[in-house]
Amino acid sequence: MKSKYKGMNARMILSAIIVCFGMVAAILPQKQNSSVQLDAQQLLYEIQLKNHVVSVDEMADAIINNDPYYQLIDLRSPEEFAAYNLPGSLNIPFDKLFTPEWAPYIDQVARKNVFYSNGSTLANEAWMLTRQKGMKNNYILEGGLNNWISTILTPTAPESTVGDEAINSFQARLGARQYFSGEGAASASSANNAPRKPVPAKKKTKVAGGCS
Amino acid sequence: MGPIVPLFEIPEELNLLIAFLIGLGFGFTLEQAGFSSSRKLAGMFYGYDITVLKVFFTAAITGMLGLLFLNYFGLIDMSLVYLNEYYMTSAIIGGIIMGAGFIIGGFCPGTSVCAAAIGKIDAMYFIGGGLVGIFLFGETYTWWEKLYNANYLGMVKLSDSIGVSDGILALIVIVAAVMMFWIGEMAEKKFKREDISNEI
Amino acid sequence: MKTKGNTYMNPYLAGFLLGLVLLASFYLTGRGLGASGAVKSVVVSSVATVAEGHAMSSPFYSKYLEGDQKPMKAWLVLEVFGVLIGGFISGAVSGRLNFKLEKSPKITNKKRIMMALIGGALFGFGSQLGRGCTSGAALTGMAVMSLAGYVTMMAIFGTAFALAYFFRKNWI
Repeated sequence: MKSKYKGMNARMILSAIIVCFGMVAAILPQKQNSSVQLDAQQLLYEIQLKNHVVSVDEMADAIINNDPYYQLIDLRSPEEFAAYNLPGSLNIPFDKLFTPEWAPYIDQVARKNVFYSNGSTLANEAWMLTRQKGMKNNYILEGGLNNWISTILTPTAPESTVGDEAINSFQARLGARQYFSGEGAASASSANNAPRKPVPAKKKTKVAGGCS
Repeated sequence: MGPIVPLFEIPEELNLLIAFLIGLGFGFTLEQAGFSSSRKLAGMFYGYDITVLKVFFTAAITGMLGLLFLNYFGLIDMSLVYLNEYYMTSAIIGGIIMGAGFIIGGFCPGTSVCAAAIGKIDAMYFIGGGLVGIFLFGETYTWWEKLYNANYLGMVKLSDSIGVSDGILALIVIVAAVMMFWIGEMAEKKFKREDISNEI
Repeated sequence: MKTKGNTYMNPYLAGFLLGLVLLASFYLTGRGLGASGAVKSVVVSSVATVAEGHAMSSPFYSKYLEGDQKPMKAWLVLEVFGVLIGGFISGAVSGRLNFKLEKSPKITNKKRIMMALIGGALFGFGSQLGRGCTSGAALTGMAVMSLAGYVTMMAIFGTAFALAYFFRKNWI
């Protein structure tokens, strides 16, 4: 008799526990996680890391070496773009970023996109938007065109007291300046301006499942 | 965040190893539960052994609650978890044919593999029959194609179609299962078959 | 031991463990368990080996042969191979490994074999029409709360209950 009572008791307890779990589940709010969208915390962390910033020196070097890995993207209006642009850059006006025509260029895996505008606000905003959508491989040009002009096109000689590194980078900038303002500038900008076909990022796909 | 394999570009070989390990656990628990015995499985339908009901519903509830909690704590992206597509006609007719196969043959495909692994000869014939059945379906597919694709309703969730939250549906399923367990255990006493239980 | 029958794991504990395996499958791969899909892979690759042209022209087989899909290498095949080994290990651990034809004493061996073949064929056919079997459609479908899973589950068990009376001699 005693063992039977004990069995009943265990059954009652187990039933109660599992129903409690069900009640907790019923009370919990429904939510939808997305593995693709970044939350604010993660974005904040990435902004602080500054890994998304490409320095003008790095960019100048890439253009001179014709590095195919870099793709400059000009976010300004077509008029501004026509007036002046960096060699090899592609014009995607800020308000057209997510249109079907241009979206494949910013959501891709083959190249390192470098956003720029006159200052750095527009590029920063574009980067944040794309990153929030989970897109990778987008970067911004440090300081934008203004910084480009003041650093690469009109470099100022460092004080003689600074280290070798600064002297070296000044030498490099002088070389770059010659490249961008001399004969090379025209040929480079005309040769590279045709947009290259983007390699689309892997889409978030449904996994196969079930038995079929 | 899960699911791991589709999110982190796991190499195919590792994915297949995972498949093997999951199968290992699947087969082991099925056999331990007694699903390798056709008379134990069939006992469900005559009331002398409702192991099928107990194991099946406990597993479904565990999986369901587990997914709900994983989702709540942000550990899984449910949009990447496969949700069965609902073709109303073929789901019902297919289910009816499978039900007939179950009571006649005494196994379902998973349990037959597990039973054949420990030497059940009837299970081996069942698998052979299964191969024939699928072959017949493949050969006559054009006859059923229309039926197969009829009344497609998409990847519908039961909770959405009856208009409750996932959590409330889970509670409903749990309460229903607990009641079935109690009724089933009463049936096990009422339809007790010592002779069969001693054999299986 | 022989007179008391086999001792199996407590069904609720076994169900809980099975649920954890199912959950692990969801968490790791985003898909649940399956069985009939692997049997289909065997059929599809056999047909493709014996009569490739026929397989490629059939709308059913070609679905699984297109592109670089290799049915025999598929996920479900490996999973069901695991079921085979897992079942064997469990049987070995619990001392249940022996060749046996399980049936009611009221029917002959021949009848049991016929019934197993017919049942298997029906299950195989039904699983293709219903896009999955008890594991792939019903169990997995119920855990993700899919309507298809609940409908398939009710159709399978409802039919089996409804027909149980007519086939009672096979089992009791």
